[in-house]
Amino acid sequence: MSVALVRLGLLAALLAAWEIAARAGNPALYVPPSAALPALGALLALRSYPTLPAHFLLTLREVVAAYALAVAAGLAVGFGLGLNRTLGRAYGPILAALYAVPAVVWYPSLMLFFGLDAASKIAFGFLLGFFPITLAVLAGMRQVSAHLVTVARAFGAGPVTVFVKVMLPGMLFTLVGGLRTGLALSVIGVIVGEILGSKAGMGSLITHAYGLLRTADYVALVVVTLALIVGCDGAASLLERRAARWTA
Amino acid sequence: MAPHTPQRSERPGEAEALLDAADLIALEGVGKRYRTASGDVDAVRDVSLRVAEGEFCTIIGPSGCGKSTLLGMLGGLVAPDTGQVLIAGRPVAGPDPRRAATVFQDPGLFPWRSALENIAFGLEIQGVAAARRRAAAHELLGPLGLRAFADKYPRELSGGMRQRVAIGRALAIDAPIILMDEPFGALDEQTRTLMGEWLLDIWRRTGRTVIFVTHSLHEALALSTRVVVMTARPGRIKSVVELPMPYPRAMESPELVTLRAKLWSEIRDESLRAMQP
Ligand SMILES: Nc1ncnc2c1ncn2[C@@H]1O[C@H](COP(=O)(O)OP(=O)(O)OP(=O)(O)O)[C@@H](O)[C@H]1O
Ligand SMILES: [Mg+2]
Repeated sequence: MSVALVRLGLLAALLAAWEIAARAGNPALYVPPSAALPALGALLALRSYPTLPAHFLLTLREVVAAYALAVAAGLAVGFGLGLNRTLGRAYGPILAALYAVPAVVWYPSLMLFFGLDAASKIAFGFLLGFFPITLAVLAGMRQVSAHLVTVARAFGAGPVTVFVKVMLPGMLFTLVGGLRTGLALSVIGVIVGEILGSKAGMGSLITHAYGLLRTADYVALVVVTLALIVGCDGAASLLERRAARWTA
Repeated sequence: MAPHTPQRSERPGEAEALLDAADLIALEGVGKRYRTASGDVDAVRDVSLRVAEGEFCTIIGPSGCGKSTLLGMLGGLVAPDTGQVLIAGRPVAGPDPRRAATVFQDPGLFPWRSALENIAFGLEIQGVAAARRRAAAHELLGPLGLRAFADKYPRELSGGMRQRVAIGRALAIDAPIILMDEPFGALDEQTRTLMGEWLLDIWRRTGRTVIFVTHSLHEALALSTRVVVMTARPGRIKSVVELPMPYPRAMESPELVTLRAKLWSEIRDESLRAMQP
């Protein structure tokens, strides 16, 4: 309740500051909320961009595909490296080093490779989401108490049971945190990919509005994209809370 | 080694163990050396010991003399480098909860499981149905003094309560041998005495075999049928004391007071040796 109030207050303050700052400058460049709101209405009523739903859905589909691939590959590589000591020693540090490279440097080659369509966006979203998930799996596995594994073995647990009943619950918190970060980064990857070069999707609409200096529409599009991002993160945090209740 | 070769009697130790059914546990020339980056540690050397079914055998010795290591070998968690460990005449090849249950020195409760779920863990691994294992775990709560804490998580329990949950987890699986590594170490004096009496009662009613590690002479004398004193590392058996007195024991009886003094002087010597650089 009070958290909601504080957030609302912060939002109101930000909007007010934004309004004042925009009016003080050039309203055509710095869109005040009073101008963005009607633009948002027009956008949602499908007047400014009638094809908005198709673009929105495309972006959502790209995010889902990128994230699904990132989760599958992240878990597979993470557990593969974590369960195999030699592989982990050989590749773990390389992975961590690659994670430190700003991912955008890979994007031009991804576009050359996958073209301007959805595939390159999915590839970029995958690339961004993959690393935090893999590294979370590796960190989580290191966290699992060796003593608890011994205890489980003493009570007759085999490798699979140890994995399910000790490793997974022992690392769940870290794992879910990594999955959440991975989702946020997959979303960012897809949208940044669309902004950097594409023919469809929310990112392409944003570039379009921005290129034509339709700044009010641009702001409205950003707001809709933000809603998509916040929605994804909300779903992820729900999952995280459920995991927290389960492991607590 | 083929398990059914008739020439088995060529190995005297094993043949004896097979013949003498009363000896449930046999350690024969058992040794363990840990290899670590900072050098090897001789933890246990040449320990031979037989424990009959139904005994309450207490191991006592200075810190770091290899008591936990010895229990680990009995539980199949630590492989001996020399000698062999036999239970019911068969070499121990790995953990087997149908033979032995362990109460660890560090209780090792699963933080994401409630007290009840921790107690039921072993039964869960054995595939016992949820309702039945809950019922079995519930039955243990009363004597463990944990009835009001069934749904609490380990972090919500006191140190002593955690240790009792760990004891419950070991007792729940009804193994014929119970390996207890300082199970009452974290308990206060009163609870310790009560838990000792409770354990004694269970042991006498169920006829299980208990291997018990403690630093408390009082506990050793009050509970055991036999006390094994170990030397400073590398742990060997220094002496074995039989305690045929009936229970409950009068701790002030001249017999026990004399034994206590004898054990104390032996342990004192070894503890001093253990602390020498
Ligand atoms: N996993 C291990 N790796 C290396 N060294 C070990 C390991 N476990 C035990 N040791 C060493 O072996 C020796 C015996 O350890 P152990 O835990 O069996 O002693 P203990 O008699 O149980 O001691 P305490 O009474 O303090 O519990 C110690 O010197 C210890 O440092
Ligand atoms: Mg110990």
